[in-house]
Amino acid sequence: MFNDFVSQFWPQTIDGLAFGSIYALIALGYTMVYGVLRLINFAHSEVFMIGTFGAMVVPFVFGINTPLTGIALVGLILAMIAAGALASAGTAVALERVAYRPLRKRGASRLAALISAIGASIFLQELFALLVIPAVFDRPERGRIQMGLPRIAERQELFSIFGHPVMTHQVFVVVAAIGMMIILERLVNRTKIGRGIRATAQNPEAAVLMGVDINRIVQMTFLIGGAMAGVAGALYLLAYENTNYYIGFLFGIKAFTAAVLGGIGNLRGALVGGIALGLAENYGAIIFGSDWKHVISFTVLVLVLMFRPTGLLGESLQQARA
Amino acid sequence: MLLEVKDIHVHYGKIEAIKGISVEVNEGEIVTLIGANGAGKTTTLKTISGLRPLTSGSVIFDGQDISKMPGHKRVEAGLGQAPEGRGIFPGMTVHDNLLMGAYARSGDVSAELTQAYELFPRLAERRTQFAGTMSGGEQQMLAIGRALMAKPKVLLLDEPSMGLAPLLVKQIFEIIEEINRRGTTVLLVEQNAQQALQLAHRAYVLETGSIVKSADASALLDDPAVRAAYLGGDLGEPSPNGQH
Repeated sequence: MFNDFVSQFWPQTIDGLAFGSIYALIALGYTMVYGVLRLINFAHSEVFMIGTFGAMVVPFVFGINTPLTGIALVGLILAMIAAGALASAGTAVALERVAYRPLRKRGASRLAALISAIGASIFLQELFALLVIPAVFDRPERGRIQMGLPRIAERQELFSIFGHPVMTHQVFVVVAAIGMMIILERLVNRTKIGRGIRATAQNPEAAVLMGVDINRIVQMTFLIGGAMAGVAGALYLLAYENTNYYIGFLFGIKAFTAAVLGGIGNLRGALVGGIALGLAENYGAIIFGSDWKHVISFTVLVLVLMFRPTGLLGESLQQARA
Repeated sequence: MLLEVKDIHVHYGKIEAIKGISVEVNEGEIVTLIGANGAGKTTTLKTISGLRPLTSGSVIFDGQDISKMPGHKRVEAGLGQAPEGRGIFPGMTVHDNLLMGAYARSGDVSAELTQAYELFPRLAERRTQFAGTMSGGEQQMLAIGRALMAKPKVLLLDEPSMGLAPLLVKQIFEIIEEINRRGTTVLLVEQNAQQALQLAHRAYVLETGSIVKSADASALLDDPAVRAAYLGGDLGEPSPNGQH
């Protein structure tokens, strides 16, 4: 077993970082919505799923099924990321409008919002399986079957670590995810809308007294969190080249685990939690076998909730109320 | 009349918290609402600033019926509030808290920033400190300074003396007087009736959701019933709550 661990350590680390980056981007949506509304948007998993299909539309529409190079490749990748972000952001905003806002207006309990989220989640999955995937991708009756992305770029070894190859797509996922994190951090800390989000998270009533339109802030939070999940969907599709209507379930619940692990409500926590979970899963897989990957994730969730419910970094988007 | 509250009724669920209150505030005045805990003072302020919907009655501000206007728009209309419990943003610096005060405005706010730091030199010293780490008195200064950033026509203050040491209360009340002298109308809610009545021009006395008395503040200071109920019989020190 020790030998297995040594020989698989680096490849599993690299793969764990790539997966962890995707978890982290999705986790941002959970953590931001929680920060502002104190609500876990359990339909966020479907926002990610729709992001993968949004990205899939681009090569499908252009009929691309051979690897590209140069400008054409860069253009395609950017278009896929943009399409994924757009589809997910749109879904998240619609979700807030339909599934959450009416409840919020009536002052319904959080349990009601949770049930609404689960309903919305199943609705979106079935909508895609029955209607959207068959119609958009011209696959009648096959909405429930895994869809592959044709290879759009040749995979190359970028460099190697202790003799283990690190591939271009793996590096791309990590770099792109970190890039998005930096953009988000700037947005939240340097812009007016970001100040509105932070103020609402820290004290919603006082935010209204400053002239902050809470409904608009909530909408922007869903939009930004949705866009991040959409980028995650596009990156996942680019790196792992498949998706299905059900893919959001595991990714969503793992990203939620990552958000809790890092400290729900904390943006940096989402990054730390995502990467930590991606690595923990893969290291656990070396020891117990890859069948145990999911068990490991959820063991982590239970352990965090038992021993450190505020997560690794604690809650900082709102910080302790004075 | 700058602000007029006309016969408002406010409910929390089925409980009627405000049972027909009318308050008038003229431009340039300091008006105070005094009364015991649970009399409905804070609810009245929250209804004026739009945090609480009213069941019936109306709020007229600057000639406009704002009863149905969402809270965040009332800030643009010219209502500023330092809420109960100060409501500062604990995870933001003093400076960012002040900037939040100008959230509804566009354009240059440096004049208001200068004024806030001039009124509260303490805030200038703590500009980069996180607001959540400051003392109660400093947080109260921040709450008032932040409300002024929006250049309100009426400043609503909800128990600025709460939990502060007597010396600090005196200081805060002097600043409120100064703010009023510079032209801002003030509606002050206080449990500390003694201090509030000395500062205000006119006053209303609230009891369980209704107004039981309204008069010039100086007249209420000499009113035996008010003295017995709210001023502890004798003029004395404000309640010796520790600062936190």
